Amino acid sequence: MKLGMVIKPSRCIGCDGCTVSCKTYNALGPNVVYRKVHKFEVGKYPNAKRASFPALCNHCENPACEKVCPTGATYKDDKGRVQVDPDKCIGCRMCMGACPYGARTFNWGPQQSYFPHSEAGNVIDEAVAPRHRVGVAEKCTMCKNRTDEGLDPLCVHNCPARALVFGDFDDPTSEVSKLVATGRTYTLLPEKGTLPQVHYMD
Amino acid sequence: MEKTSSGFKALCGALGLIAAAGVAVWIYQLMGGLAVTGMSDGTSWGLYITCFMFFVGLSAGGLIVASSASVFHIEEYKKVALPAIILSTVCICCAGMFIFIDLGGIQNVWRMLVGLNFMSPLAWDMIVITLYLIINIIYLVMMTSKNLETRSKVRIVSRFALPVAILVHSVTAWIFGLEIARDGWYTAIMAPLFVVSAMDSGLALLLLALAGLQKAGWFTVEKKLFSNLAGLLATCVAIDGYMVGCEALTMAYPGAEGADMLAIMTSGATALFFWIELIVGILVPFCILVFAKNRQKTGMVVFASACVVVGVFCKRLWVLLTSFVGFAVSTPLGVIGGAEVWEATVGYSPTWAEYVIVAGVFALGTLAFLILSKKMLGGSKKAAAAGSKDPAQEALDGLVTEGAAS
Repeated sequence: MKLGMVIKPSRCIGCDGCTVSCKTYNALGPNVVYRKVHKFEVGKYPNAKRASFPALCNHCENPACEKVCPTGATYKDDKGRVQVDPDKCIGCRMCMGACPYGARTFNWGPQQSYFPHSEAGNVIDEAVAPRHRVGVAEKCTMCKNRTDEGLDPLCVHNCPARALVFGDFDDPTSEVSKLVATGRTYTLLPEKGTLPQVHYMD
Repeated sequence: MEKTSSGFKALCGALGLIAAAGVAVWIYQLMGGLAVTGMSDGTSWGLYITCFMFFVGLSAGGLIVASSASVFHIEEYKKVALPAIILSTVCICCAGMFIFIDLGGIQNVWRMLVGLNFMSPLAWDMIVITLYLIINIIYLVMMTSKNLETRSKVRIVSRFALPVAILVHSVTAWIFGLEIARDGWYTAIMAPLFVVSAMDSGLALLLLALAGLQKAGWFTVEKKLFSNLAGLLATCVAIDGYMVGCEALTMAYPGAEGADMLAIMTSGATALFFWIELIVGILVPFCILVFAKNRQKTGMVVFASACVVVGVFCKRLWVLLTSFVGFAVSTPLGVIGGAEVWEATVGYSPTWAEYVIVAGVFALGTLAFLILSKKMLGGSKKAAAAGSKDPAQEALDGLVTEGAAS
C-alpha cells in the first residue's frame, strides 16, 4: 500500500477547515500545526486575487527525515506513511534539518493548552498523547488511526470544497492513481528527490 | 613539584563554581524541556550545536600536530605532543557533552546502541567521535607510560589517529552537509571546510594553550617551534579563506537561490558573524602571521591565535544559522518562508539558560585542561629548570630516530 493524496489548490477556498480539524483530532497545542493553508496574493492590483495552497507532510517515498534519523524512530510504515515512534526518538532534530517541506514540529516543552484553566479542555486522547511527549519530534501521521480503518484522513473528510483527494497509489483503480495518470499533477521540490506521495494538481 | 599556589586554587574554585551552575541549569532544562532555550521549530539548532561544532574543531589541532609528528616525521612537533593531546581530549569531551545537552529525549539515548540507523550522519558521528576519544586516551596513556617500549609504539597509533582526526571533522560537517533541505549546508565543500576550520582554530587554541602553559611555568616551548606552528596556522587560515571564497562565488554566480542565501550572510541576519569571521578570523591573523618577523613575537602570535578562535566561532554561527533564516519552500503560487511554515518565528537568540550551560561546559573544559596539564606536565618544568632534557624523552627520541631511519 502506498497511501497518499492529490491536492487541488485551485479548488481550495482557504477556509482552514483542514487545519482546524487536524488540530482538534490530534490535540495540537498552541503554535503547533501539522498542516497549513498558505495564502498568496497572485497578480497585481487591480488584477490581483487571493489563492490558497494547502501543505502538509508529503509522506515521501524517499524520505530525507527517515534517512538521517539515527535511531530509526522515523520510519515508513506498512501503508507507505512516514511515522515517528516517540519511544525511539532521542530529540536530536536531524529530521527537522532534513525535511525540505518543514513538515515537522518539535515538543520543546510540556504541551500547552488553549484552556489552561479548564480541566475539561485539557483531556487528550490516549492515542495521540505519546506524540506530544516533551523532547520528541512529531508530524502528520496521515491520521493513522482513521486510515487504518479505511477512513479518509480528517482533513480530507472535512474539506468542504473537495480540494483534497485521498487514496492508494499502489491501486491503479484509485482516484489518486487516475489523477496522477492524467500527467497533470506535480510535486513540491522534485529536485530534492524525495518523491512525495502528496501530489498537486491545478 | 612545587606547592599549588593559592591563585591556581582560586581559579579552579571559580571554574568549578561556574561548572556547577551549568550542571544545575542543565537539570532545570531536563525538567522543563528545551523550551527553556531560544530554539524553535524554525531554528531547531542553536548555541549548543554551534559549540559542538566549535569544540570538535578545537580538538583537531592537538591530535593533528601530535600525530603529524610521527606520521610525517616532524621531530620538533613531538615536543608539544603531550599538551596537544591533553587539549584535544578535553575539547572532544566538551563537544560530546554539547550533543547530550542538545538532545530533547535523552531518556531514549540508549536506542543509539541497540537500533542504530547506519544511514544517519549522526550515527557515523557517534562512532567516529567515540573512536577519536579512544585514540586520544590511548595516546595519553602511551605517552605518559614509564615503559619506553610502550612509548615508542606511539608511532603506530598515530597512523590511525591522523585519518580518524580528518574523519571526525568530515563527519561533523556531514551532519549539516547531507541535510538536503538546507541550501546553505548541502554542499560538498562542507567537509573540507570543516577540516580546515578545525585545523586553524585547533592550532590557534594549541598556541594559546602553549603560551599559557609557558607563562605559568609548567612547560617550555622553544621559540622556533612556536613560530613554526604559527606559520602552519597562517597557511591554514589562508586555505580557510580560500574555501569560503570558493563557496561564496559558487553561491552568488547564478544569481538565484544561492544568492539569496549569500545576501543573508553578507547583509542580512547573520552578516555580523560573517564579517567578523572574514576580518577578525581570516584577514587580520593572516596579515599578522604572514610576516616571519611577527611570528617571532609571542604576543603577536597569541593575538592572532585569539583572533582565529573568535573568527571560527563566528563562522560556526553563520554556517549554522543562515540556513535556518533562509529556509523556503517554493510552490507555483510563490515561496513559503520558514516563518509561514511554522507558527513560531524563525528568529533565534539564546536564553540565559543556554548561556549558563555553555559557560559551564567552557569552565569544566578549562578546569579539566588545567588539572590534567598540572598533573601530566609537572615533570617537564623540573627538567627545564635543570637545563637538561627529560632522560626518558631523550631515550625515546633516540628510538624514534632509529625507527625513522630504518
